[in-house]
Amino acid sequence: MPPIPPQVQQIIDALTATPPLEGYLVVGAIMFAIGAWGALVRRNAVVVFMCVELMINAVNLTLVAFADYLPNAGGLGVSYAVLVIAIAAAEIAVGLAIVLAVFRTRRTVNVDEITSMRG
Amino acid sequence: MQTVGQQLIIAAIPVLPALVFFLLALFGRLLRENAQYVAILGVTVSLVFSVFALLYVAGIIPGGTSIEFAVNWIDLGEGGSFSMGVYIDGLAAMMLVVVCFVSLMIQLYSGAFMDGDKRFAWYYAVLNLFTASMLGLVLAPNFIELYVFWELVGLCSYLLIGHWFEKPSARDAALKAFIVTRIGDAALFIAIIIFWAQTGTTSFEGISEAAQAGFIGSSLLTAAIVLVFVGAVGKSAQFPLHVWLPDAMEGPTPVSALIHAATMVAAGVYLVARTYDIFVQSEQAMLVVAYIGGFTALMAATMALVKKDIKRVVAYSTVSQLGYMMLGLGIGSYTAGVFHLYNHAFFKALLFLCAGSIIYAMDSYNLFEMGGLRHRMPITFWTMVIAGLSLAGIFPFSGFWSKDAIVASAYDEHYYVLFGMALITVFLTAFYIFRAIFLAFTGEPRTEGARAAVESPGIMVGPMVILAFLSVVSGWVGIPDGFGIPVKDYFAQLVVPSEFARETLGLEPHPFSLALATVSVAAALVGIGLAYALYIQRPERAGALSRRFSGLYSFLDQGWYFDALYGATFVRAARYLGRLARGFDREVLVGGLTGGVGRLVSGFGEFLRRLQTGGVQNYALFILLSVLIIGIIVGAQYAFLVFALIALATITAFAVGSRL
Repeated sequence: MPPIPPQVQQIIDALTATPPLEGYLVVGAIMFAIGAWGALVRRNAVVVFMCVELMINAVNLTLVAFADYLPNAGGLGVSYAVLVIAIAAAEIAVGLAIVLAVFRTRRTVNVDEITSMRG
Repeated sequence: MQTVGQQLIIAAIPVLPALVFFLLALFGRLLRENAQYVAILGVTVSLVFSVFALLYVAGIIPGGTSIEFAVNWIDLGEGGSFSMGVYIDGLAAMMLVVVCFVSLMIQLYSGAFMDGDKRFAWYYAVLNLFTASMLGLVLAPNFIELYVFWELVGLCSYLLIGHWFEKPSARDAALKAFIVTRIGDAALFIAIIIFWAQTGTTSFEGISEAAQAGFIGSSLLTAAIVLVFVGAVGKSAQFPLHVWLPDAMEGPTPVSALIHAATMVAAGVYLVARTYDIFVQSEQAMLVVAYIGGFTALMAATMALVKKDIKRVVAYSTVSQLGYMMLGLGIGSYTAGVFHLYNHAFFKALLFLCAGSIIYAMDSYNLFEMGGLRHRMPITFWTMVIAGLSLAGIFPFSGFWSKDAIVASAYDEHYYVLFGMALITVFLTAFYIFRAIFLAFTGEPRTEGARAAVESPGIMVGPMVILAFLSVVSGWVGIPDGFGIPVKDYFAQLVVPSEFARETLGLEPHPFSLALATVSVAAALVGIGLAYALYIQRPERAGALSRRFSGLYSFLDQGWYFDALYGATFVRAARYLGRLARGFDREVLVGGLTGGVGRLVSGFGEFLRRLQTGGVQNYALFILLSVLIIGIIVGAQYAFLVFALIALATITAFAVGSRL
């Protein structure tokens, strides 16, 4: 087996090394920002829901990362993440039902057109 | 000392009528006309118990000469305490019997007089509360307890004068009575505060002793006593607060009888008599009492001369007679003043019941619509003549004994001005009451109503006859020792001023003076003779006189223009103040403050409304921004701050930019 060149070895090391906490956090923050941005600017209600899911999952990622990083917490972060997933599932079921109901009555899912709660 | 049983009997005297009040107020609708039997039962038992108290105090039931016990009512700890108690001496025992007796007579009489009234049971309920309040007032040994019942008496008079409140005039009269007496009540309350502040006690005995020991400066003492007297002036309708009493005639006639004989107006005189030991310590205050009394007696008598309304004639005579009592108390003849209160209760109640009987028969108050009733209503006629003779002070009717005692002691104590006033009043009193009697009962009937009048039913006539009997004999218990009849002066033994009062006033007993008695009876007979000459012999002459002196006539008829004077000053000032307050209330308080707050809130709401766009993403944006701001505030760390601000700016820029 020919020796692996050091450059390749470096790449392999970098790829197999345990990623640092910052990595997870940065990814989580970026996911959260994308989700928040999408939730605020997209007009399609279904896409808004997807963006909300993205935000939730960003938070989940952060929770799990911290759970791994802080062993003394006894895996509390992981159990929170499981809780969040369960609630997110329920939320998406209800939310999609509402979106469907709105679509049936108004033939649209454009959130800009749904302003009947206007003060 | 009394046994507990005896104390319970004493306590039951005011409690029973109060209990009747609650019974009738709660179940009056069920009882209806039967209410009178409950009421009469209650007051009869009270009367029996009062007689027991009288016998006890008089020494016939062995035990002592006074009844005194108390329970703690309000305990202020270091600040002292107020007690609720009972103090019965001869004066109080006599008043208890008189109040219960007159109240019983009036309740018997009312059964027929008020028959068919819409609020029959309520009428009886308040009548009993009235009696209970007066009995409580009589029993009170201290100012606080007295004041409680004093106010209750005022309340009941308001309710009863306004019993027929559908009539606007009755409403106004009730309010007038309440407001005018309230002036006196306020003065009394100030006096109580002064006494409490200076001596730390409210009991009559304690204040008297503290004042003797010099705890109150002499000028402050005089001021406080005069304030107490102002309270009595308000309740007893003395000048210048007499204006409510004639208007109080709007109430049912038996109520007038009760107010005038036993409960309301007697309270003022009773207060002065009760606190006599305090009064005698200020010579000036005693003079005020005497002169206000003397002046009121004369003034009210002149007002009664020309009244057309039979009840108002009798009402002014009450004011005048109360003036006599005050005069008697003021010049130091305590027993005579109280004796007149006692005699007056019977003949004045009778006069009102007679007037009520006429009103019941012909439904009119106007003397000039009556006439010739003598043959149609003989019992009413004779009882009213007896009451009139007693009021005029003709020997040997009861009024003679007390009135003569007051007039004579004014002379003996060298108050010649007061003596003159009292003598003129005797003459005027005889004139006006017989003017009323002659106008009502003699001559030809002037209207159809007078022709059709019939005698009142037995339940009304019965009490009148009993009271007529008492109007003759009630004075006989107080025949002065020097009169020459071997009868003891029981009244003077029962109702005596304290040793202290006698020493302070330096009174010496004056023998009965036949000359003075002759003069006063002669004055009364002249008055009756003049009434006879003017209203029976030559009726046209009275009319001619009134036309000739029309200015004087309307001056007297309008009650010396007191109502007009008060209307132009106090009432107008109060109205102006009221309008000012209403304007302030509407413009500043309601329009400015309340409305301003409302406008502010609705304007702010209008502004906030724009935030509620209904767009779900706007709300999300607000949530996000808020969370960030909260995070900044809570975190407040430099790095976090920078990061958050950048994130905020970025998201806002994205959000706003993409929207545009």
